[in-house]
Amino acid sequence: MSGAPTATAKPVVIEAESITKRFGGVVAVNDVSVAVRAGEIYALVGENGAGKSTLMRILAGVLSPDEGTVKMDGRPIEGGTRAALDAGIALVHQELSLVPEMTVAENIMLGAFPTKGGVITPQKLRELAGEALREIGVTIDLNEPVSRLSVSLRQFIEIARAVARKPRVLILDEPTATLTPAETDYLLQMLKRLADGGLAIVYISHRLPEIFATCDRVTVLRDGRLIDTMDISGTTPDALVDKMVGRELKRDLEIVRESQPGEVVLSARGVTAPKVEEIDLDVRAGEIVGLGGLVGAGRSEFVRAMLGVDVRTGGEVTVKVDGRLRRVGSYQSAVRQGIAFVPEERRQDGLALTMSVSDNIALPNRRALATAGVINPTKQAAFAKELADTVGLRPPNVKRDAGNYSGGNQQKIVIAKWLGRRPRVIVLDEPTRGVDVGAKAEIHRLVRELADQGTAVLVISSDLPELLDLSDTIHVIRDGRVAGTLARDEADERSVMSLAAGESMVANS
Amino acid sequence: MTTPQSLNFGDNPVRTKANRLRRVLRRRPEGRAFALLGVVAVAALIFEPLVFTAYPVTLSRVALVGLVALGLTVVILMGELDLSVASTVVLAGVVMAQMPNIPLGILAALATGVVVGLVNAFFVVKVGINSFIATLGMLFVLKGLAVVISSSKPIPLDNITFAVKFGLPLVGALTPRILIFVVAFVLLHVFLTRVRAGREAFAVGGNRQAARDAGIPVNRRLVTGFVMCGVVAAGAGAIDTLERTAADPTAASTVLLSSFAAAIIGGVALTGGRGSVLGTLIGALSLGTLEVALTLTGVQVDIQQIFIGGVLLLAVMTDPASLRAASSSIRTFMQGLRARSTDRELTPPNTLPS
Amino acid sequence: MTRLAESPGTAVSTAPAQTEPDQASTAARILLWTAERGIVVFTLLLVLASVVFIDGFASPVNITDVFHRAAPIGIVAVGMTFVVISGNYLDLSVVAQVATGAVILIGVSNSHGIPLAILTAVVVACLYGLVNGIAVGYFKANAVIVTLATTYVGLGLLRWLSGGSIYFGPKNGVIANVGDIKLGPVPISAIVLIVMAIILGFVLSRTTFGFLVRAFGANNESTRLSGVNTPHVVLGAFLITALAAMVAGFVLAAFSNTAVSTMSDGYDFRALAAIILGGTSVFGGRGSVLRTVLGVVFVSVLTNVLVLSNIGYGWQQVAIGTLIVLAVSVDALARRMSKK
Repeated sequence: MSGAPTATAKPVVIEAESITKRFGGVVAVNDVSVAVRAGEIYALVGENGAGKSTLMRILAGVLSPDEGTVKMDGRPIEGGTRAALDAGIALVHQELSLVPEMTVAENIMLGAFPTKGGVITPQKLRELAGEALREIGVTIDLNEPVSRLSVSLRQFIEIARAVARKPRVLILDEPTATLTPAETDYLLQMLKRLADGGLAIVYISHRLPEIFATCDRVTVLRDGRLIDTMDISGTTPDALVDKMVGRELKRDLEIVRESQPGEVVLSARGVTAPKVEEIDLDVRAGEIVGLGGLVGAGRSEFVRAMLGVDVRTGGEVTVKVDGRLRRVGSYQSAVRQGIAFVPEERRQDGLALTMSVSDNIALPNRRALATAGVINPTKQAAFAKELADTVGLRPPNVKRDAGNYSGGNQQKIVIAKWLGRRPRVIVLDEPTRGVDVGAKAEIHRLVRELADQGTAVLVISSDLPELLDLSDTIHVIRDGRVAGTLARDEADERSVMSLAAGESMVANS
Repeated sequence: MTTPQSLNFGDNPVRTKANRLRRVLRRRPEGRAFALLGVVAVAALIFEPLVFTAYPVTLSRVALVGLVALGLTVVILMGELDLSVASTVVLAGVVMAQMPNIPLGILAALATGVVVGLVNAFFVVKVGINSFIATLGMLFVLKGLAVVISSSKPIPLDNITFAVKFGLPLVGALTPRILIFVVAFVLLHVFLTRVRAGREAFAVGGNRQAARDAGIPVNRRLVTGFVMCGVVAAGAGAIDTLERTAADPTAASTVLLSSFAAAIIGGVALTGGRGSVLGTLIGALSLGTLEVALTLTGVQVDIQQIFIGGVLLLAVMTDPASLRAASSSIRTFMQGLRARSTDRELTPPNTLPS
Repeated sequence: MTRLAESPGTAVSTAPAQTEPDQASTAARILLWTAERGIVVFTLLLVLASVVFIDGFASPVNITDVFHRAAPIGIVAVGMTFVVISGNYLDLSVVAQVATGAVILIGVSNSHGIPLAILTAVVVACLYGLVNGIAVGYFKANAVIVTLATTYVGLGLLRWLSGGSIYFGPKNGVIANVGDIKLGPVPISAIVLIVMAIILGFVLSRTTFGFLVRAFGANNESTRLSGVNTPHVVLGAFLITALAAMVAGFVLAAFSNTAVSTMSDGYDFRALAAIILGGTSVFGGRGSVLRTVLGVVFVSVLTNVLVLSNIGYGWQQVAIGTLIVLAVSVDALARRMSKK
């Protein structure tokens, strides 16, 4: 459906003019201008941290720009979410934006309940909600509380909510992250239909096949700056990736690791949990195993269930300690047996932001730093400093609160604290998400070093190049199962993606 | 434009009658309250049926416990706490007794409730303090004010006759207190289920960010919630004073305990977004019945307190979220126990051949 | 797990990789300073002002009295600091625990001797700690509600078993004599407070357990993910509080040589006031026993000044309640303004 008529044919509905936004000392969006026309599907792409989400939030009124204006039909919009909503701008979050104990109908009409004199008119509520659902072509029981619905379903309800307000601009942030390929196909067709009806759509995604299948124009952001805006018909996925990354995508094939994986150290058999259907997995000493797959495939759930972080409903996990096999029971026993876990959400789960770097690093290492239950401050300081230097924390001031460091540095702190335990196994969930390019390379180096020293490494990554770079073996997870296993020399983006996505979803391009 | 193929997610399980009952009991937050009420009612039937024949007394106790709990429910649904209710009750009564006549007194009492609610809301919304500490501070401040105004002495009302009449049955065997309680229940039920601001309260507690993003005026709703709670508590204080014919700031009270107990037993989640005034009503019914039954059986006040405290403790520990937390602790513990060393052959992994 | 939308903090530029803390406005900085160091200055000012302006404040009799009143509350407060720092708000049941400790000490020792009395009290204190700790640590129930419930259960039990009566220790018994010991104007109760503060302060700031309590309060999930048995930490915090409250009960009983179930009225809020005014955050993670001690001094001196100035109990409650709210407000505002 690409190959739109000349741009001047359709009127500009919403535009962002010279938007700049800073958070603390970091410039998230730097003088970016975009214009979206009625009836077009406009893509916004960029790496993690490029500023797409921030820009989108500014468009939707959730954040206010430090400089620049958002204009609707040529007139600037002042105010927050309410003003944006009234102007006809609808933002589709991911499923977290629903109220669990309310019904589907109420969630769809949230904030816009039809009333007569302050009292809700339930008939009208159901009518409007039903209309929105019909508009997107989805059938659900209106009275079901949202908490009992599946993740994909919740995504569609989010979309229904946006559509219910009869918006003029629809902004979607990674809408297919939690959908199956069939649902994704459906969604893309639905968006095309809505655009044909005059809606202006902004589509933010990492998934280039979707963008090339659906969108008319694309803007590439990198490090907060607008790199280029162009018609989809005038570019290719590779060119787009080049612009996103800013360098020739050259896979560091020179860094072929001399990996001589040793014996199996970590072994999972039949691990079952919510969203995880009997996964078997082995990781050898000195080996880097990567877990690929779409977001929502169950990778994090598997890993967390495997280690006992979350409830494991079935299966057995063993770790080889000093030549003997031991079962992994609780997460605590796992840690005691030399397993380290770097969680996905570093700010919420990985670090205590109000504690110093030194304290954060000391936490899993407390026994080593204490004698008879009393912590030795000098020992702790030296220990922390050494680890901070090893990971390249900048600046290496271990007394500073962890919250004061950038994302990349924070991630290094998390890794540092586990390094101190000389783990047998380390599991990293999206270790470089939201991390700047420099820190990312350093983290990769650390991971490789760990493997070289004999640690068994398991990495989850949604960043394909990273996954391919690091992993000796890739298991691709789809819908809670292992869809396929690829060795380093046979793995490439295409093979991983096709295993991850199942049947081809790159249908029309 | 082609007609869209539609996606049908409606995997509706067979909704039989038996299924329905089980689902209601397990799913709805009030399920637990019904269960407790059932237990209490049966026990009372066996040991102290007087509870039922002397139902005005029972209902009166329920109304006492339940009224404050109703207002509290609104605040908890929004995801906040209001610990100052106990002092609001007392302060309202004291203020009322200062007034030259009853109507003015009632007005003053209710106004006190509004002011308290506004102050609480100010600290939570404008200043941004945790509602727990803000209302805890207010609990002390208001208690102190009540003591100051009354000089720690009971203050008799001027118009004793009216006050006495207030304590007498009005409709059938029901006293004004009970009737007011019923009215308050109906009003709040309608508010929380039919009125937009009330329905949105669930969103404010259930997912505040989502509520904000959807354009709901969260701060305004919070103010409404605190004010409602304050007014209801003040009303309870006025009723109390009328029935005693005097404002008594020195009277020991378990209002705080009982009102939270009623709400929590009734299934109101402290995290917000879940629960109903119906549940609170049932919780209050259970508690009131229990209290009266114990009193009629001759059990001392102290032991009654032990019971009520125990019931509250159990209620808060059998909240679905708490049970899940506890069971996962047990599960982890068991898994840890079973993790003894085993020398076994590793079976090859079940992955697809690459 | 669904990928969440990027949070602002993850955006980066090609500029230097570290973030500089924002230049807070003057107002924010004043507030921040007040929240962190205000208590020291205010306490000193208060003491100075009292010495100068309040008649009879500086007299040895009054000083001793202040110590006497401060001690039990202070002991409770330094113990409860652990619960507050762990992010569990507070322990309301200290009221019951203190009274129980006092009653058991005198009541049981009168008939069965002191050692058995102390043993019983310890067992009971552990029970309190266990019930509270398990409910809050393992069942993850709200500490306010749980401790509210245990307060009533505890007080109910105490009143029922003691019949509400007042217990008197023997005129020249061990308890009475110990209670009369003084070092100059400093009564033994204050010495106990100082000793407990030193011990518990050491535990909180230097031991592994104390470290875990602070870490748990700062972020309970990251502490759990570092391999810590977090329910145990909560359990420990409530046990310490219970044992401290028991000691406070002992001190209270020894001072007056009597025990009655109502003698600990208001201890929950006074202890909390001391902790909060000392600058420990209600949200957990930040604070120290030293701060609590400062808070105790402040609250005790303030209460004493109010009493000496004939300001009634009602106004005292108003004053302290207001101060609590103010202190927390300053903290919240300071943090909000400097985070912008």
